[in-house]
Amino acid sequence: MEDLLLTTLYISLLIHVLLVCFAAWRLWNGENVIDRLMGSDMLSNLCLAVLVLAALIHRQKIYIDVALGLAAIGYITIITLAKYITDKRMF
Amino acid sequence: MVTFMETVFYIFAIAAVVIGTFFSAVGVLGYFRLPDVYTRLHAAGMVSIFGVVLLLVAAAVRTPVSWGHALVLIFFLLAAGPPTAHAIGSAAKRINLPMKGARRDDLMKQPKAHNRKPY
Repeated sequence: MEDLLLTTLYISLLIHVLLVCFAAWRLWNGENVIDRLMGSDMLSNLCLAVLVLAALIHRQKIYIDVALGLAAIGYITIITLAKYITDKRMF
Repeated sequence: MVTFMETVFYIFAIAAVVIGTFFSAVGVLGYFRLPDVYTRLHAAGMVSIFGVVLLLVAAAVRTPVSWGHALVLIFFLLAAGPPTAHAIGSAAKRINLPMKGARRDDLMKQPKAHNRKPY
């Protein structure tokens, strides 16, 4: 059962790394600014998924703490950039 | 000696990882294929809510990885997903990005309510 879970986790990690590559390529030639903003949000969430998979594979909880910090920084960045694009100023 | 509950937890973790990977793949596919910013927002939200949260459910079920951190991150993601989608959609509406294939646009009929500052 342990081997089956590890195999599933490694296949999932491979799929997620491929998804990060595809999303970064699509983000590089996005059509407008909102598209690229949304793509960067999705890319940060995919990196979060890769960190959680690393925590599941290595069985260490420090990766989940790193993922929490990354999620907080990504959330504040997306909200602030959306407000900046809308109003042409931040505050 | 593997007890019955550990087997149940392993099966639950495997199912959560498989379903989360499937939803992440569907989200990236929607980000490639959908025609419009407003419809692509569905796909981008699906990666956050279903993909990462189901992987974190697998991390919370599996015992040696601490489940408290995973629950805090699940709560944060569920709280942060809708404001992010609202901010992106509102920004797209306010810089007048068009909806492709829309027969009519209800928000364009009210320029005063559309242009006022919400805060």
